[in-house]
Amino acid sequence: MFTHNWPRMLCVLVLLGCSPLVSLAASSPSVRRAATQVLDWQITGKVTSEKGETLPGVTIILKGSSLGTSTDANGNYFLKVPETAGTLVFSSVGTVTKEVAFTGPGVVNVALNDDAKALEEVVVVGYGTVKKSSVTAAVSKIENKILNEIPAGRAETALVGRLAGVNVSQTRSSPGSAPLIRIRGSGSIDAGNEPLVVIDGFPGGSLGQINMNDVESIEVLKDASSAAIYGSRAAGGVIIVTTKRGKTGKPKFNFNAYYGMSKARLHNDWLPVDDYYNYAVRYQNREYAWIGGDTSIPAWGDPRRPGQYQVSDTVRRSGNTIWQDAVTQVAPIQSYNLSVGGGTENVKYYVSGVVLNEQGTVKNTDYKQYSLRTNLDVKINPVVSLGFLFNPSYATRRSAPTDMVSLVKYPNFVGIRRPDGTYPKARDYWGQNVTSQANPMAILDGTVINGYSLNNVGEAFIALDLVEGLRLRSSVGTNIAYNTSERFQASFATNNGISSGTASDSRSINLINENTLNYTKTFGTSHDFSALLGASYQRNTSRNAYMAAVSGSFNNDIIQTLNNAIIDPASTGTTKSEWGLVSYFSRINYGYKEKYLLSASIRADGSSRFGPANKWGYFPSASVAWRVSQEEFMKNIPVIDELKLRASYGATGNFNIGDFDYLGRISSVLYAPGGALTKGQAQTSFGNSRLSWEKTNGYDFGLELGILKNRLNITVDYYDKRTTDLLYNVSIPGITGFTSSISNVGDISNKGIELEIQSKNLTGELKWQTSFNLARNRNKVVDLGGVQERITTDAFGMSWILRVGEPMFSYYGYRAIGVLQNAEQVKNTPVLAGSKPGNPIYEDLNKDGKIDSHDKVILGNFQPKLFLGMVNNFGWKAFDLSIAMQASLGAKIYNFENQYYQGNVLGAMRRSLVENQWWSEQEPGDGKTPASALSQLNFQGASDVYIEDGSFLAVRNINLGYTLPGTLVQKLRLGSCRVYASGSNLIFVTSKSFHGYNPEGYTAGEIAGVGSRPGYNSGSEPVNRVVTFGINLSF
Amino acid sequence: MNVNKIYTAGLLALTLALSGCHDSLLNPTPESVLTSANYYQTAKDMDLAVLGVYNRLQSRKPSDYLLMEVPADNLYMSANTSVAGAPELDLLAVNADNPIVADFWEVTYNGIFRANSVLANIDKPMDYAGTQKDQFIGEAKFMRALFYFDLVRLFGGVPNVTSLISIEDASKLPRASEEEIYNLIVEDLKDAISKLPVQNAMARGRASKGAATALLGKVYVYRKDWNNAKTYLDQTATFNYSLVPSFASLWKLESEDNAEIILAMKYIDGTNGHSLSTAFIPNAGAIDIVNRGSEIALPSWSLMKNYKAGDTRYASTVTEFWVPPTKPTDTPMWYPYISKYAVKHTFGLSGLDLPVLRYADVLLLKAETLYELGQPDAALAELNKVRARAFGNATQNYTLAAIPNREAFVDKLLLERQLEFAYENERWFDLVRTGRLTTVLTKEERLFNYATKSPVTVQLTPQAYMKAFPVPQRQIDQSAPGVLTQNDGY
Repeated sequence: MFTHNWPRMLCVLVLLGCSPLVSLAASSPSVRRAATQVLDWQITGKVTSEKGETLPGVTIILKGSSLGTSTDANGNYFLKVPETAGTLVFSSVGTVTKEVAFTGPGVVNVALNDDAKALEEVVVVGYGTVKKSSVTAAVSKIENKILNEIPAGRAETALVGRLAGVNVSQTRSSPGSAPLIRIRGSGSIDAGNEPLVVIDGFPGGSLGQINMNDVESIEVLKDASSAAIYGSRAAGGVIIVTTKRGKTGKPKFNFNAYYGMSKARLHNDWLPVDDYYNYAVRYQNREYAWIGGDTSIPAWGDPRRPGQYQVSDTVRRSGNTIWQDAVTQVAPIQSYNLSVGGGTENVKYYVSGVVLNEQGTVKNTDYKQYSLRTNLDVKINPVVSLGFLFNPSYATRRSAPTDMVSLVKYPNFVGIRRPDGTYPKARDYWGQNVTSQANPMAILDGTVINGYSLNNVGEAFIALDLVEGLRLRSSVGTNIAYNTSERFQASFATNNGISSGTASDSRSINLINENTLNYTKTFGTSHDFSALLGASYQRNTSRNAYMAAVSGSFNNDIIQTLNNAIIDPASTGTTKSEWGLVSYFSRINYGYKEKYLLSASIRADGSSRFGPANKWGYFPSASVAWRVSQEEFMKNIPVIDELKLRASYGATGNFNIGDFDYLGRISSVLYAPGGALTKGQAQTSFGNSRLSWEKTNGYDFGLELGILKNRLNITVDYYDKRTTDLLYNVSIPGITGFTSSISNVGDISNKGIELEIQSKNLTGELKWQTSFNLARNRNKVVDLGGVQERITTDAFGMSWILRVGEPMFSYYGYRAIGVLQNAEQVKNTPVLAGSKPGNPIYEDLNKDGKIDSHDKVILGNFQPKLFLGMVNNFGWKAFDLSIAMQASLGAKIYNFENQYYQGNVLGAMRRSLVENQWWSEQEPGDGKTPASALSQLNFQGASDVYIEDGSFLAVRNINLGYTLPGTLVQKLRLGSCRVYASGSNLIFVTSKSFHGYNPEGYTAGEIAGVGSRPGYNSGSEPVNRVVTFGINLSF
Repeated sequence: MNVNKIYTAGLLALTLALSGCHDSLLNPTPESVLTSANYYQTAKDMDLAVLGVYNRLQSRKPSDYLLMEVPADNLYMSANTSVAGAPELDLLAVNADNPIVADFWEVTYNGIFRANSVLANIDKPMDYAGTQKDQFIGEAKFMRALFYFDLVRLFGGVPNVTSLISIEDASKLPRASEEEIYNLIVEDLKDAISKLPVQNAMARGRASKGAATALLGKVYVYRKDWNNAKTYLDQTATFNYSLVPSFASLWKLESEDNAEIILAMKYIDGTNGHSLSTAFIPNAGAIDIVNRGSEIALPSWSLMKNYKAGDTRYASTVTEFWVPPTKPTDTPMWYPYISKYAVKHTFGLSGLDLPVLRYADVLLLKAETLYELGQPDAALAELNKVRARAFGNATQNYTLAAIPNREAFVDKLLLERQLEFAYENERWFDLVRTGRLTTVLTKEERLFNYATKSPVTVQLTPQAYMKAFPVPQRQIDQSAPGVLTQNDGY
């Protein structure tokens, strides 16, 4: 009883305890009545700041009445008041409220003083907000100033390089594909490393559901102490998105739009058709020589040369198609957003609609998003307020059917399309020895992969301000997702001439009820105290229906829906699943004279995903901060404005495994007794009734320094987090019948350092601000449950290793140290079995005279060693300029893609990949590049031959804006108008040896289970250069 | 009552109500997943679980050739396709990290697990009709015996698992001796023979009494227990199996169910097919077979040259000349490929059944047994049945005069088995069990140059220890230290 239910009991008790307070609060006077006098004095004026800048949006109220107005974009206002002397109250965010008396109509100009206290930034943390100066944990914040102007389909793209320790990498750059976000490294092998996304308090959303136009700010809870309030799902960090809400005042319309073009960043390294032929002959001769053939026999038409070793003459008599150029296009991208927000003290609203359309630089790909966001905040009386959110969105996406490699590796002698509309294949020119793949344009035109997702996030809450500082809030939220996907491939688009089609529908309904009680009070002048108590109940149910056509059963290529085919019973069905989460949490913040700050929290989570005895997990945290700058002795050091030291500890969890993984599942397996398709049954997972949480314990030590009147702000953080009881598919002896079983085994460590510098370099007429960040993370496997290493090897020999003491999923294989030149050398050198002249020489690590698995070494890792980001903002008169740069150093990519550009059997050839090869003893190439071809993959797949440096430096975005002068704007009856030009990835520098299209790109996914092959790239899409022009209007 | 009190009370009620549904949130029932806890309740459940055992063999069998043919001399790996671990097998340079060897171990023990699951739960259902329960026990034991037969032939003694074991127990279980594993196989097959119905009473593709009898005969041949071998091989003849007149008809979809098949894995094109029909087809496909092939391996001249003119098996095993499907009017080109499984099929999903045991095998095993029992005449009679079927007449039959001694007989027998069962995963085992591995596999003739009439010859260095493959290193690592011992030579 105590262990499982104490949080519930506690919560109920506390909630019951509150009820007497309600009557106290409700008896206070609440509603003011509006005056009903005749209005005839006219008062006008201008409101400025203490520095003389005009202040728009200042609220002006006639004291003791409900009469009021606000200033326009130029700080001017106009108000009619009754014919009596009175007082005007001028208030605005960030200024000290000022009262000015008047005795008659006329001009009242006012200068408002900055309110140092009110100006102070507020940071959203889980279930509440904290003043930035009072934050005791590592939290990064980014406000949406121009983020919505960065041309990209997905909101995450705008965050690239802007926050230390938050790595946003676009491993695939097709329209609508989600970037990968990793906060302070990866700690889990099987349960995912994605951060928890909390949108307006709803935990478990997706950044794909929001549009940057609606975002007010994004906070990232980086350390375990701040994330611990989200307990069981926060091990990957927490991203909190706060969206825009209505503000008191006249309706304010905003219109944001941009339109632009994107172009893929390509290369010019292809062999033209004559060279292609010459190299094809060299290839075939080399292969023929290896089996002892006489290469002086003509390459074509001589029966003495076996067909496998010939090169068709048609190859040099045909066209010259650069497939990379044929399959890509200059693609438009556009976004339109209209929003209106406003309201009174009692009712505030915000409504926004967005249309976004991004065409892909790879033909026949696109992403479109339509969304509406409505917020309504109602204050019924001083005690009761209500809020509603309705956020439907609809997105469609057409994706490319293959990785980039299959689209660009095609031989150049093949034409794109015949006059009759059909697509020629390489084998139409040359019946053999050349790729049997379909024409890339046929693949793109003949394959339709569409995804449609209809989504709604809705929430209703009621909040009771029971007494001063005490707020009870209860909400019901839903996140409903309905996804449909369709896939059709026409026979002409496939390598084997078989049409295929699938369709699936899935729906997922996530319901959450959250109840929180917040209490904030300052006792005396020095004791700031706040407390939070909460309970949360969440359930997710999902259903999936899937269907597939029997391969080749489509009657024609015209009708692409499954009614034109025979349904394959083996791949058609429905499934349902469900999970539940019950949580209780509490947090206390205490500050003494804003000098000594303390925060502590605990969360208890019960999850349906774990074994019966282990459903509950407890996630405590504690953090302290000392604002040294508040101490008396610091007053003598005026250069230091802010100096804060922080230390924190927290525990977070991970429950991202399958819904019923702790059970031994019985699944359908097919057999055909008597020729009849039958679903047999077999146990397909081992099950583990003791399955429990994966936990991450993290420490963080931080220093925040503000000097020179806070013109220079520096934040340094060191963290050390350890993930234990890994949800890990640990290897088990095969004689159990299984090879792995999900268990709580193993430890992973991530340690790192982060630096953020914010500097106001120039503050005069020419303004210049720089924010710089640097992050380094060291990932290390600490324990694997008894074994020292675990290796995954792919079909072509490359291995990924989990080894104690090394970063997760390092590449593991042989280290090439040269090329075998002749038979003599092959005989006298330790080599892989079957090696011939031209194959690599590998380092015989243990000097035992043979090359075997004992000679394999770690060859690098896909994780970058260092991230750098820098944003420079300039302002001069009406112009503003922002330049965001990013650099990533030390990542290694297994660029398997290269081997597709190394031989006629595979397709196209890249000059830099073929010309330095070993061709024969007489033509040994550069002595470093082995004879590379599909047939030689077994001799070099398991080595560093294809491992390349993925470091890069990119100017991710440049944004130049111009705000139209007030006079012109007024003539146009606008509030304000800004036009801008934006360019993304205009400068992109990669390592010279790198051959991929995208140095962050890899195609086999990141860490997702023991068989992961992160960093494996077989054609990630090119980085796009995007230039857009946009406008922001408000009126 | 104050309005706010009502709100507060409402909220509290909601909170309480929700906290009351803890159980439904924390203990949902899996709606789409059966579990080991709620399965195995009815006879139907057991029936489907038995099919699950077959599924394991059905899905493994199409790639068995990588272990059971590639190391021998019937085929060689094509340079056009790369399969990790296969080149080492092809060159007899296998080590304990070989992924193909490792996968085979795991998949086969998974099959044994499924058979053991059937046997462990067989007493739970109460609604068996007639002899259903016996049949299921018989099938599970047959399949378990077949899985162990594969393991013992490839690895020698392996851990003896006949129940559902925990991870901890598994890590402490050492290898049993070859003898013990064979004893288990014999025991299982004897029980299967006693419990299984005859083929007519069961769906094709499921193991019958005849299949168990034939397999036991084969097992005794491997044990060189000639008397017992004869007993069971003779018994097999009582189940009305016979050679079909045309060898080619064995490899056609329309005649795949026939009197010669004692047990075959059944497949359905497109929905439950296998990749073997695609595996050997040239990369650019073959007309009326498939538009694109995998060309994983190509036929060796070492095999091709052994077929005599008039042997109908040649055309059903290898096709010499090839025409690209994209250029059907081209002059056929010398491009030999394995066409035994080449039926018209969906890429990677062929419906052609794959024989596990066929009567020709029983006849040749019987010939061997009879010769060893000192009955050369009777032995030749059996051998000649297979030969006469292949040539369509008796002109190529062997006579005793041509076979002066045992050595010569084994030569002829192995040749016949090579020609008859090429690519049916018999060759490697035949070479190993007759001790000819080290003499026959010293060289392999691969691609034959049709114009110059000369083959590419590869020299190999077979060693006696290679009769058993290495125990996969990852299995040794998973066991407690010293528990799982490695085979000699690795």
